[in-house]
Amino acid sequence: MIKNYFLRHLQTLFFSLGQMARAPLATLMTVAVIGITLALPTGLYLLLDNLQRLSGGWDAGVQISLFLKQDIGDAEAGRIAERLRAREEIESVRYVSRQAALAEFKRLSGFGEALNLLDENPLPAVLLVRPKPAHGSPQAAAALARSLGETRGVDLAQLDLEWVKRLNAMLSLARRGVILLAGLLGLAVLLIVGNTIRLAVLNRRTEIEVVKLIGGTDRFIRRPFLYSGLLQGLAGALTGWAVRSPTWPTSMAAVSGWRASARPRAFPWCWAGDCWAGWARGWQSAATCGKSSRPEPPQARVGPDGTAGRFPAPELPPRFGTLTMRVLKSTTDTEDTAREIHR
Amino acid sequence: MIQLTNVSKRYPGGYDALKDVSFELAAGEMAFLTGHSGAGKSTLLKLITLIERGSRGQIVVNGKNLARLPRRRVPYFRREIGIVFQDNKLLNDRTVFDNVALPLIVSGVDHGEVGRRVRAALDKVGLLNKEKLHPIVLSGGEQQRVGIARAVVNKPPLLLADEPTGNLDAELSDEIIDLFHEFHQHGVTVLIATHDLRQVDRLEKRRLMLRAGELIYDSGRDA
Repeated sequence: MIKNYFLRHLQTLFFSLGQMARAPLATLMTVAVIGITLALPTGLYLLLDNLQRLSGGWDAGVQISLFLKQDIGDAEAGRIAERLRAREEIESVRYVSRQAALAEFKRLSGFGEALNLLDENPLPAVLLVRPKPAHGSPQAAAALARSLGETRGVDLAQLDLEWVKRLNAMLSLARRGVILLAGLLGLAVLLIVGNTIRLAVLNRRTEIEVVKLIGGTDRFIRRPFLYSGLLQGLAGALTGWAVRSPTWPTSMAAVSGWRASARPRAFPWCWAGDCWAGWARGWQSAATCGKSSRPEPPQARVGPDGTAGRFPAPELPPRFGTLTMRVLKSTTDTEDTAREIHR
Repeated sequence: MIQLTNVSKRYPGGYDALKDVSFELAAGEMAFLTGHSGAGKSTLLKLITLIERGSRGQIVVNGKNLARLPRRRVPYFRREIGIVFQDNKLLNDRTVFDNVALPLIVSGVDHGEVGRRVRAALDKVGLLNKEKLHPIVLSGGEQQRVGIARAVVNKPPLLLADEPTGNLDAELSDEIIDLFHEFHQHGVTVLIATHDLRQVDRLEKRRLMLRAGELIYDSGRDA
């Protein structure tokens, strides 16, 4: 009985496949429309995701400069640095002594000779504090800076975050736009799919009528439509993925000199599956697409990428540089998504 | 097998297709339903197959009171009836075999069983050698025989036909009606709606006559 049931479903599946093969042009067009409509919002989302990753990298590069009071000596400064290193939200602390600060200033400012005229070093010693990535968001970093500013021996804690804030604001605006666009395009997919099904039903009206007259249940009549819908949606999702996946990472890499992360979402599969068949055959689409994976929180960045990892931005402090983006293998299911490839 | 008691059908708009029709068709009986076009023959068959629901009266088919049959049971009810149409309603994108197999596939008959029973049905209508052809290449009489094979492949106890010879010449009509007669002799209840009085006279079976929605003549069971 159960064997018969699966056999019937298998028969319907192959029947639907055969039907699609017999009308290749119509199938191809439907698939292309679904593919492109799916590729647009997800591609935009991918772009946005990459930009956010970029800004995430800069967040990690956020540093707080602690200007020490003039009367603090090297030994005392070392002790303060040790204490700071023990704090859990701090990734690293670098000590720049007054002499080192002066030397660097001379080198960078070009006032070398003029500075020699000063009889006293006017620069304070500095502790450069880098928060851990988890505490690298503008709000967290600002809070950290405030708390560090009250440390004994610290004259001033300075955090320059304006540009990060601005970028994040822009990104959240863009995200809203993308979500709106994705919603509209998703609606378009639904309408297109609905229309296609309507046409298919019209095309096969005699067949439906005959099957009804000889005692076919509604479920029996619905089944081939659901299968062809599922197959076309799946093919559309594949097309969308194919359209998107090679273009974005490479263009991103070309623009920014980064190895951008290709993170193909699992949701197009589910979308497509759900649009077509989800309402009646939830388990089918679920089995086909697997579960959609959620984006994880930013992960610990690994060391410098030998090839293209450095961000060529001379106007930014040198420590902004090294961050590696993850290159994800394009995957169709969660298991593979979990197996991310770090380069 | 079929029992109608004071059945009326009024279509929306007030047109009375059937008025107070009562008759009973015993199991294994064969009868002709005659009358001019628009007399209500097709409507009567539609009521019996639950394509339409009656407005008044009671219809009992194969022991089932149709008024009390819920919508979801209708497909299962129809599997107990073989229906032959004037325009045979074959699917031209499938072979003769697939057309005849459709009722079996619909009711989920086992794969091996399907082949056996389709060939048996095609053998009965004399088309065993044409199972791989598409209906469109067959003659009108052959197409109608495929339609009959499809109607009987499920071995239904009741066979209904709506003008099965409507599109055929006299000789082919005889063939088709003889085929129905053969099934009748094997114990199937047969009801044929036709305006072809020649066939009715030829077989001397029970005759029900409709005029303007009313049953005006019933030759009785013993014919």
